[in-house]
Amino acid sequence: MTAAASGKQARSWPSGWFGVLMWLLGGLLLAFIVLPIVRLATTSSVTSLRHAADTAAIRDATLLSLQAAAITAGIATLLGVPLAYLLARGTFRGRGLVQAVVDLPLVVPHTVAGIALLFLFGRTGWVGSPATHLGVSFYGSQWGIVTAMLFVSAPFAVNSARVAFEAIDPRLERAARSLGATPWHAFRRITVPLGLRGVLTGAVLVYARSISEFGAVVILAYYPATAPVEIYNLFLQSGLTQSASAAVMLLIVTLATFLVFRTLAAGRLLARVDRAYR
Amino acid sequence: MPTADHGLDVSGLAGRAGSFNLGPIDLGVAAGRVLALLGPSGAGKTMLLETIAGLRPQRSGKIRLAGADLTGVPAERRRIGLVFQDAALFPHLSVKENVRFGPRARRDASGADTDSLLCQLGLSQLASRSPRWLSGGERQRVALARALAIKPGLLLLDEPLSALDQPTREEMRMLLQELLAELDIPAVHVTHDRDEELSIGDDLAVIAGGQLRQTGSVSQVAAEPIDQDVARLLGWSELGNGIAAHGTVRTGQLLLPGTAPAEMHGPVHIFYRPEDVLLGMPARDSPAGTSLTAHIERILLTRPLARISLASDPPVTALLLHRDVERLHVQAGRSIEATLPPGSTRIFPAT
Repeated sequence: MTAAASGKQARSWPSGWFGVLMWLLGGLLLAFIVLPIVRLATTSSVTSLRHAADTAAIRDATLLSLQAAAITAGIATLLGVPLAYLLARGTFRGRGLVQAVVDLPLVVPHTVAGIALLFLFGRTGWVGSPATHLGVSFYGSQWGIVTAMLFVSAPFAVNSARVAFEAIDPRLERAARSLGATPWHAFRRITVPLGLRGVLTGAVLVYARSISEFGAVVILAYYPATAPVEIYNLFLQSGLTQSASAAVMLLIVTLATFLVFRTLAAGRLLARVDRAYR
Repeated sequence: MPTADHGLDVSGLAGRAGSFNLGPIDLGVAAGRVLALLGPSGAGKTMLLETIAGLRPQRSGKIRLAGADLTGVPAERRRIGLVFQDAALFPHLSVKENVRFGPRARRDASGADTDSLLCQLGLSQLASRSPRWLSGGERQRVALARALAIKPGLLLLDEPLSALDQPTREEMRMLLQELLAELDIPAVHVTHDRDEELSIGDDLAVIAGGQLRQTGSVSQVAAEPIDQDVARLLGWSELGNGIAAHGTVRTGQLLLPGTAPAEMHGPVHIFYRPEDVLLGMPARDSPAGTSLTAHIERILLTRPLARISLASDPPVTALLLHRDVERLHVQAGRSIEATLPPGSTRIFPAT
């Protein structure tokens, strides 16, 4: 079996001075990313990590972050996939504007996003006011946290799924329709399974972006405190050393869950869903 | 073209894609007959098929199949089998699952038919294989089986052989001929290959710029193209410009008596079929044509026919069997007699 047949492309590595230059510049960026994490991890001992894990406020904040990020990923996927499909397949007027709106949260500073959300979802906001009358409060609640997370991370769900759908030959859907599949049936049996990797990747990215969100969350829902908010409070109240242990714990939990979700999205889960669709 | 109650009847069909306008188009295909649809790239062939299949909206016109009006009927309820140029198999499903997709989507309990289809098309051994690991010919056979599994009332074939290599194309062409002969349904076969159009089609429609330019039986359209575009598409070569008067056309040193309609006068454009040009002394019993004597300028031993270019005025090219090249002692520089038999030329008013 050739390399191409096995799905692997032969890679040509840059060599000579060109390669050295590429590695040098790329290595600088890698070091810039890795060194702060390594330095943070080495500041905490096992005892201080255990102490952080035993602290109810830190533990609750971490669990809240995990829960809210998972809910956000679910909502973003549910609402983002249809929009991604429309953007991938549609040739409607204003498509560029819709795509720009989807990307808007990527360029809005997150504190600005928090203030904007507060105007809309606060107790006197267009959505917040009637919601309060119905007993749902976004200000200072888990719903507020999810709302803030959803605003800043939704583009990842839409764009990841859109790119996946765009890569699917539209003739496959047409073939399915000619064979008797309704548009919904063709979407469910052909488009979703073939674009599933992109959809799940988007969900994982939303989860990762949400769990690290601070700016929008702290304005719309300062309390109950998510892990980033709790770490910021610790930093202000107790200083760098005390907050470092909580930061490392959040880092470990975040990386662990991210890796688990990403692995599931890339492999086993896909295979299982693939079988289920057959 | 003959149509019947069980055939396809398209009248005034029009559609639009961006700035491209299709139609209005009228065509009919009787049950058991195959219409070859010939046209250049961008002529609207695929768009016409997809509009008939209900995959594109139509702006006006009627589509009737087996007497039933399909106008406004969603694609999934038309029961029209469609085979795409590159097969368009579902890559996440096995061969058998691809073939069973239609019956399952329609909730038809025809699993036995699926197995027999796989067997009939020589796919039984490949049933559990992924389409990713199939050859081009195998992929098209699966696409054909998938389209036939829904027991279609009409089969639309969108250049299914064009992406195949020559031996596989020959094999698939024979398979298609056999299958289409067995099926008592109308079929439309889009092609830009003249061999396919002649071997698979019963009738021929030529489309260009979104309009049907000519329809009729394959032999009639091939022999009597109505304009220069159709002639080029059907493989006629340009002989050059000439002057028509009283039924005779003069071009260069050639006089072509009886080739132009009596009422045609003035500048004309002349086409001929290189495969009809006879080299060497014509047989005594052959009908009279226009003869010329010229030096052989160039011999190209192309396959399956050799191209012999003559240094005549106007230049004429003849297509010969390779054995005839040897039999007639065709050599560059040698003088040879060439004859354009009656019916081998077409005259069009110059534009």
